Amino acid sequence: MIKVTSLTKSYGIVSAVSDVSFEAASGKVTALLGPNGAGKSTILRILSTIITPDTGSATIDGLDVATDTTDVRRKIGVLPHNTGIYDRLTAIENIRYFGNLQQVKRTELNNRIDKLIHLLDMNEFCDRRVSGFSQGQKMKVALARALIHDPQYILLDEPTNGLDVMATRALRKVIHDIKDAGKCILFSSHVMQEVESLCDHLVILGHGQHRFSGTVKELEEKSGTANLEDAFIMISSEGESSR
Amino acid sequence: MNPFLTVLAKECTDNIRDYRSLFSSLSVALLGPLLIVGLLTFVLDKTLRDFEEPIPFTLMGADYAPNLVAYLRANNTRIDQREAVDDPSTLIKSGEAEIILVIQPNYGERYTEGEQNQVALFFDSSSYSSGRRNLTTLVQLIERYSNTIGMLRLHYGGIQPGLIAPIKTRKIDVSSPADRALMIFSSIPYLLVLVIFTGCFYLAIDATAGEKERGSLEPLLTQPISRFQLVLGKVIAASSFSLLNLTITVISLYFALQLVPFERIGMSLELNLLQLLMIIAVTSPLTLFAASLLTVVSAFSKSYKEAQTYLSFVIIIPTLPLIITQIVGIEPSLGSMFVPSLGQAILTSQIIKGEAISYTHVLLSVGATLSMALLFLLQAIKMYQKEQFVK
Repeated sequence: MIKVTSLTKSYGIVSAVSDVSFEAASGKVTALLGPNGAGKSTILRILSTIITPDTGSATIDGLDVATDTTDVRRKIGVLPHNTGIYDRLTAIENIRYFGNLQQVKRTELNNRIDKLIHLLDMNEFCDRRVSGFSQGQKMKVALARALIHDPQYILLDEPTNGLDVMATRALRKVIHDIKDAGKCILFSSHVMQEVESLCDHLVILGHGQHRFSGTVKELEEKSGTANLEDAFIMISSEGESSR
Repeated sequence: MNPFLTVLAKECTDNIRDYRSLFSSLSVALLGPLLIVGLLTFVLDKTLRDFEEPIPFTLMGADYAPNLVAYLRANNTRIDQREAVDDPSTLIKSGEAEIILVIQPNYGERYTEGEQNQVALFFDSSSYSSGRRNLTTLVQLIERYSNTIGMLRLHYGGIQPGLIAPIKTRKIDVSSPADRALMIFSSIPYLLVLVIFTGCFYLAIDATAGEKERGSLEPLLTQPISRFQLVLGKVIAASSFSLLNLTITVISLYFALQLVPFERIGMSLELNLLQLLMIIAVTSPLTLFAASLLTVVSAFSKSYKEAQTYLSFVIIIPTLPLIITQIVGIEPSLGSMFVPSLGQAILTSQIIKGEAISYTHVLLSVGATLSMALLFLLQAIKMYQKEQFVK
């Protein structure tokens, strides 16, 4: 389980996240929703041990992300928002690099690579160098790389960004597969439509603050509208007028 | 596989596939020695020609002064005899002759009477290049002949030659072609320092500033690898390319030097295998120094371009001590061994000259350079640990 408690983080005088708490359970897909600048990426970066919170805490599987960094890093798989893969390496070499850094055993690593190539349908391009890949292909490589050590916790930062319908659909299928394997998935998005088909649990942020936690159904009930987009806008900009 | 080795292998693969950068740093290693050899051959050739080649000139009125002409002929000249013409300058303008010596018909008469004779030298100071030396030498030859005759006359007249020439200077040029060649040899340490720094230049930028810019650093930092191993992998990868560059340079220097005609100046300046290994051994600590220094500077930069700008300045720094010592002229001393690049340069030139090198100096140089490399490495690790490191 991922547990975030009263998390606060500012960059200089700019407050990115203030007093946010939520939980993400295993076997479920949790979406971190919010408009641009709501603090989604900051929370994901804290969870992926890139930055440390000012106050509050975040634990993954009971391990504090700020102090038990190495153990946390073995348990998480991270898809950063701009894929961040190496152009001059082939798709497989990119995946293998992280597999080796995670110290996955050689035979195990080869099996995992085969499995992921099949799962993500990467056969056609897995031996090619990454430069020139389409956005969808790059995303697949980055996702395979994040999953190479079979992590229990998977953090995806705007995974559908820049993907076409086909790629989005493929990604959705993979996320479902991972969920069925009992993993804990936390992804961020600002697109309401994709959330509905994908996630079990919603966390809505606005201006670095927590606005809502619950299921899609609960969100509809709370906002009193069946249109998710309206609900999202309503919830995420709550208190906006009083500012 | 050990995480350190994983990073090392990945960075090396990545850099090898960056053909343009790789070629750009290798070209210095391959072309540098060729440049030195080219210069050496040119200088030797020119010097030898100066020593051996006869002085060519055109002579008009040779019959009027047979003794003078015989003297000139005996002193390494190539004389082109011609009939006297009205205006010799036209021959020079048309390019038929470079220098024309004209002896007047009344030369013999005046000579016998003890009057001063004038011989005319036609030349064009604006057009010829090799002729300047020829002209000077020719004038010197004629003056020497004139002096000898004058002295003899005074002598026969019972007057001491010292009376009219109380002081005579004699120039003794002790430089030899070998010395000029050695001057060029002193540029080899510069070349070695330069190739060490260019060898790791691109990898150091790419592996730190480049990763930051492309956003690949962030996922990398979520991997369970200590910052120490990560940075060490990157620094060692960078320094291996410096070492590769250094080795290629030394080897190509070895072969290139065999093309230089040292034997023509009676000199044997070949580097044997042991000397080559010694040069590589004493300079190799500099590869770690270069790699860690450039990695730190690269870590300060936010983008590839920014790092490239900083590093272009930084790689000038290690050559500064070399230039300063060239001007001031510092002897091998304990103190100079503490300065990275300077110690290596001094030791290298000692090895090339075949001088004995002091083991204390080698130990100091290696120790000082490695300690500084370690300081930079620790600084780089410290920077990787800061969370502001990722944009």
